[in-house]
Amino acid sequence: MTSNSGLAATHTPSGGDGGPVTGEVRGPVARAMSARSVVRAEGLSKEYRSPWTLKVVQGLEDMTFDITAGEVVGLLGPNGAGKTTTLKLLTGLLKPTRGSAFMFDEPITNVHSRKRLGFLPEQPYFYDYLNGREYLELAGRLSGLDSREATRRADEWLGRVGLGDRPRLVLRKYSKGMLQRLGLAAALVHGPELLILDEPMSGLDPFGRRDVRELILEQRSLGTTILFSSHILPDVEMLCDRVLIVLHGRLARSATLHDLMAHGANGVEIRCVGAPVLEIPPAWRARLERHEHADGTAFQLSDATLLDEVVQWLMQHGVRLRAVTPQRASLEELFLAAAGHDAPHAQAVS
Amino acid sequence: MIPLLIARNTFREATRDRMLAGLVVTGLALLGATQVIGVLALGETRRLTVDLGLSGIALLGLFLVLLVGTSLVAKEIERKTIYNLLSRPIARYQYLIGKWAGMSAALWVVCALLGTALWALLAVRGVHGHALSLAEAVYLTGLELTVVTSIAVLCSSLSTPVLSALYTLGFYLVGQWSYDLRAFAEKAPGVLGHTLSAIANMVPNLPLFNMRTLASETLTTTPAHLLIATLYAVAYCGCALALATAAFESRDFK
Repeated sequence: MTSNSGLAATHTPSGGDGGPVTGEVRGPVARAMSARSVVRAEGLSKEYRSPWTLKVVQGLEDMTFDITAGEVVGLLGPNGAGKTTTLKLLTGLLKPTRGSAFMFDEPITNVHSRKRLGFLPEQPYFYDYLNGREYLELAGRLSGLDSREATRRADEWLGRVGLGDRPRLVLRKYSKGMLQRLGLAAALVHGPELLILDEPMSGLDPFGRRDVRELILEQRSLGTTILFSSHILPDVEMLCDRVLIVLHGRLARSATLHDLMAHGANGVEIRCVGAPVLEIPPAWRARLERHEHADGTAFQLSDATLLDEVVQWLMQHGVRLRAVTPQRASLEELFLAAAGHDAPHAQAVS
Repeated sequence: MIPLLIARNTFREATRDRMLAGLVVTGLALLGATQVIGVLALGETRRLTVDLGLSGIALLGLFLVLLVGTSLVAKEIERKTIYNLLSRPIARYQYLIGKWAGMSAALWVVCALLGTALWALLAVRGVHGHALSLAEAVYLTGLELTVVTSIAVLCSSLSTPVLSALYTLGFYLVGQWSYDLRAFAEKAPGVLGHTLSAIANMVPNLPLFNMRTLASETLTTTPAHLLIATLYAVAYCGCALALATAAFESRDFK
């Protein structure tokens, strides 16, 4: 257990023991070897028509993307941008107006495309007359497990998400955090190869968020392909290989986190002590800022190419260096840049 | 397989709902009450017990359909529990069939329980020879409620629980008078006659399932009647569920 509320940190991978829906090699090796497409959307569009006014609202417009096996992809965007619409289209809860999408090379209109899928909706709701064990058994059986295997995995997953001590507690007595963990267990109980999670950390306390994060990282290490939407950008930054930024129902950007960061602002922070009162040379003033702290001085250098010269200059003036730290733009800054600093959007991102 | 799993879950939902327990207790109380009322019936206690008992079973079954059955699908959409089902490899028609089958199974259990209680009550009162007619009447009531449940599923997949209940009740009432409606349609002129005739053909022919009067006289019906009623129920349920599937197939869950 990782915490009081927690999910088990170490356990046997369920996908690894061969779920009923996959006979493929799982894990990092498979992930490295395989570049096959797991999710592919081609011009996916969704329009909503009001039944009374017949007014058409564009929910999603021409989404085209490809997610390969083993990737962890974050779907970012402000409220109403089309993230949930995208996920619901992929999971068959919405019907596309135009375009097509495929999961494991099967069109999403075919129910069998969802056989290797685990889905956690935003703020999951459950049958409150069932208990945790019954619910996971039902989830497993509906995804193709036989009765005995469903029972075994239900017990296993209840334990892994920290609910194993009360398997017969009815769901109406569960707290929000417990329900979220049960939802994750239900999404994972059949050992899916693709996980789609809609705001999996929404409404969770820091312990719950950490637990969910660990579970996603664990699935990632098993080679599970993961697509998830989130508003919590540090979590996305920590978990994702790639992000899809959705704005106004359109895919604004698709980039690996590495590429995104590499093209973001690059700077260096130089921490030092014992610095006399130094006057920054006029040529550097636009690129070098000085901040005094209780434990010393920090110089913020916005242009890393000047690093050698600045360090030399500091050393010449008897400054003792404590740390030189490269600074990356945060995902939030990059997201806001992609969003064009649109004020309403910026507010929506926490 | 999938419809069976959903049916089992729906059966669990219905049977764990306090509504069902309440209705069964009400049914048993109603059977007890027939013995009090029977005193006033001047030697017709047996007939009154059977008639009221069978009517009570049909009425309580209808209440169960209206209170639980009509919200089967709509409640799942409203509470978003349907997301957890339809995001799995489940076709929408399988979901609807499962819902209908589960609710119908719960109704058959209620009919069987109350029917057995009615038979036991008559046996305790020293009235024998009712077993077959009672069994036939309860069987037909079960078929009737199964047909009404298919209408409830159809309405529930299209509308809110309250409206579904109203529509289902409307179908039930008009269905009970479908013979009268058909007779009236024949006499009505022009468009009105055609419209009424179309309505009479569309609503379920519920009098087909009513043999309460026969049972109260300890009379049985013919095997042909039972067969025709069964085939009619299967056909009507099939049509209602096919319509429900057609409507449900294109539905978005926002």
